[in-house]
Amino acid sequence: MPARQDSLWYKSAVIYQVHVRAFYDSNGDGIGDFQGLAQKLDYLKDLGIDAIWLMPFFPSPLRDDGYDISDYRSVHPSYGTLEDFKKFLTAAHERQIRVIVEMVLNHTSDQHPWFQESRGSRNNPKRDWYVWSDTDTRYKGARIIFLDTEMSNWAWDPISKSYYWHRFFSHQPDLNYDNPIVREEMWSVMRFWLDLGVDGFRLDAVPYLVEREGTSCENLPETHAIIKDLRKKLDKDYPERLLLAEANQWPADLRPYFGDGDEFHMAFHFPLMPRMFMALKLEDRKPITEILQQTPEIPPSCQWALFLRNHDELTLEMVTDIERDYMYDSYALDKTMRINLGIRRRLAPLLDSDRRRIELMNGMLMSLPGTPIIYYGDEIGMGDNVKLGDRNGVRTPMQWSGGWNGGFSAADPESLYAPLLLNPVYGFQAVNVLSQKRIEHSLLSWTQNIVRARRSTPVFGSGSIEFLYPANYRVLAYVRELQNETILVVNNLSSSAQAVELDLSKHKGRIPIEMFGKNLFPRIGNTPYLLTMGPYQFFWFRLRRI
Amino acid sequence: MAEVTVLTDDLIRQLINVGEVDLLVGLPTHNNAETVGGVVQAIQAGILKSFPRERTAILNVDAGSKDGTADVVMASSINDLRRAYNTHALRTLPSITTRYAGSPSSETALHTVLAASDLLRAKACVVISPESVNIEPGWVDALLRPVYRDRIDFVAPIYRRPKFEGMLVSNVVYPLMRALYGQKIREPYPADFGFSAQFGNEFLAQHSWHDETGQFGTELEMVLSAIAGGRRISQTFLGTKSRSEQHPDLVAAMRQTVGVLFASMEVKSPDWTNPQVATVLPTNGPEYEVTLEPVRVNKKRLSQMFSSGVSELAPVLQSILAPPTLDALRQIAALDGDALRYPAELWAKTVYEFAASHHKSVMSRDHIVQALVPLYRGRALTFLMENRSASAEEVEANIEALCHEFERLKPYLVDLWNGGK
Repeated sequence: MPARQDSLWYKSAVIYQVHVRAFYDSNGDGIGDFQGLAQKLDYLKDLGIDAIWLMPFFPSPLRDDGYDISDYRSVHPSYGTLEDFKKFLTAAHERQIRVIVEMVLNHTSDQHPWFQESRGSRNNPKRDWYVWSDTDTRYKGARIIFLDTEMSNWAWDPISKSYYWHRFFSHQPDLNYDNPIVREEMWSVMRFWLDLGVDGFRLDAVPYLVEREGTSCENLPETHAIIKDLRKKLDKDYPERLLLAEANQWPADLRPYFGDGDEFHMAFHFPLMPRMFMALKLEDRKPITEILQQTPEIPPSCQWALFLRNHDELTLEMVTDIERDYMYDSYALDKTMRINLGIRRRLAPLLDSDRRRIELMNGMLMSLPGTPIIYYGDEIGMGDNVKLGDRNGVRTPMQWSGGWNGGFSAADPESLYAPLLLNPVYGFQAVNVLSQKRIEHSLLSWTQNIVRARRSTPVFGSGSIEFLYPANYRVLAYVRELQNETILVVNNLSSSAQAVELDLSKHKGRIPIEMFGKNLFPRIGNTPYLLTMGPYQFFWFRLRRI
Repeated sequence: MAEVTVLTDDLIRQLINVGEVDLLVGLPTHNNAETVGGVVQAIQAGILKSFPRERTAILNVDAGSKDGTADVVMASSINDLRRAYNTHALRTLPSITTRYAGSPSSETALHTVLAASDLLRAKACVVISPESVNIEPGWVDALLRPVYRDRIDFVAPIYRRPKFEGMLVSNVVYPLMRALYGQKIREPYPADFGFSAQFGNEFLAQHSWHDETGQFGTELEMVLSAIAGGRRISQTFLGTKSRSEQHPDLVAAMRQTVGVLFASMEVKSPDWTNPQVATVLPTNGPEYEVTLEPVRVNKKRLSQMFSSGVSELAPVLQSILAPPTLDALRQIAALDGDALRYPAELWAKTVYEFAASHHKSVMSRDHIVQALVPLYRGRALTFLMENRSASAEEVEANIEALCHEFERLKPYLVDLWNGGK
């Protein structure tokens, strides 16, 4: 069991995002399961992560990869039983790994019994568990999120002959959070999992809980009130458990979700991620420094969640039109790589499988202010399959070895929930855990090292950041500081070698010690500190006062 | 790479920070603080609109301004600390500045821009005059796009000008260049122009740089080099070019234009002595535009300067001009101001005889160029009188007629050049 007395554990953590279905199949049915995940916990322990974030594993018709839940208090039979989940949770805790589960508060599947009852008749007691209307003209100010598939946020229900509200797919009706019974029921659902021992929730689609006429129906005060209420209950009965917000919003709009430290503990920094890719392609730090300059201060107990890639598309909602066009042309020239307002690709293919760029991006992920989240498979450089529908191309089975089904499953290959990657560059025979474990300089080994380096100091999780602005704008440099510890991070975003002069006058007299090789660099003096850097190279220096 | 001597250590440091670029904007300045801010803003707007993805830098080469010109340029960088005005910049757009000692020299400025362009591996370059107070953002696109996208090597501007502005160009430089090299370049001595890296690097390597104070005319040499090298040249219409108030020194202007042209004939004689048919260059927009603002001219003074020049320079002119030409000139000089007319044929012959004398060094070449100044005043007065009431089309027709005269008499020049009298 992880030490419960560390109430800020999430600030120094490294989180690993995984879908049970995709990780390891223990029973040979072609679908990953909790028993399989439990068997691979030692792998995750070796990787050095502190917490696992599980994508939805609840019973579901799986029309949106489990984000369409039809039973909140059980486990999808494909992934095992509730008992299997409990065993997995215990095994994780034994290894000091915390478990964060997905909780979709905003909507259910249309197959959920609640909705079936609600649509049954206008007089059903659960009728107002959802948002119904006789017209499809209400809440016109709300944007449509899934532009590729949805024409409206209202869908016609032929059974009760009225419209129901849905911010995502039409098979995902939104719950009515103006109904106190719904709010109480969802807290009851959360209690169910908290009582089992989960360490936190990633709350999906939180900005959309409440609707009000004449607004965008996003980020409303009423939504914040609901979050505050949940947090209050959580802190009272389940201290040291985590609420992580999924809210794809601008930083200024996200800031209220931290409240005064009384709403979410963490929230994803969505606008930063595409700008990291943009900065790399532009070879210019401006997109990163600009968005972080616009990022407001958050309460000391709160934290940003940072990521490079996840199970969704590389979202381009939070960029300007000119930036979006640039990103498409740079990273998704083939239009099949695009979906909604984003790019459905994994990290390695986005970066042409270039180790230097993959390392640089991970170096920034691990050293910028926030808690890094690694998407399963990215630690070995897994590829994607854009020919699979929706975002399934980035959700293919984990590649454990070069053997049968990539070591993922003993099933017939045709039975796998999704085809394995087979191409010569990213296929399981070329990219897999087993072969990378044997190579000292594999991406997997490198990832273990950088996670270790990140965890060697609390500075990255909790320290302040001060950007240096060297005249060479291809170099992104910042100083992280916490109490007496100071770390200098210098990233060369360029594909060519660069010379950079850093103003380190504040740290005069200190000796930089490179954190991976532990080598000394010349003492910081009166003149600008000159560094020469190879293409895409980055340095982490401890600035020691000796 | 050519040996580079104009780059100071400080500039090298700045270039290191800028790194490789796709586009480089050269901005030569000298005490232009009043106008340069607006010019830089227009350049930036043009870059952000037309080339938002390209790595671009603005390089200010300053002749030791005392009015803070360089500070204005430096402060206008678009970076992570300073946003672009009125629009979003995808990437950093750095402005850097370097100073050179001595009096302003367009040669030093251009040399610095070319050297920097070479080091930064720019693909296309544009030079913008800091005096272009009415520059539009579209100028950047107009001058750079043909180079960057269409593989043109040199883009010359065309401006909408008042009909009596730039008479030295319309009466000497343009017709002479056109007759010599067969290229209809309306602004052969451009203040704003674009060029390819390949051509810029070639010119940088081949040109004999002096970098003396007060050296001008290198832009014209660059145009001549583009012509001689068979480079792809185009023109682009930029619109009206307003300039800040200036009082041109005619002798200096004559040196920078006619002097350079005469000198080029020595180097490039095998090219120009062949028969040439004037070709129309690919042009973006109208080939000329003339506005008809009235202009106040002191005819009497111009006439007097012409007449006294003919008289006072008689021994000099005797060494330069053929007797029939000199006789005709003397007859014209004897006329009073209103009757004075310096016909196109006689003017073309005059220029050609000056060119041949320059070639033969019958006296100091600089004196030859200077001696043309009073005669040009007579020709300018004639042009003013002939076009006083002319429409834009009529002005253009008269310039065209003058050009034809230069072209018709070119065999006469070749004959003189090769030793005939």
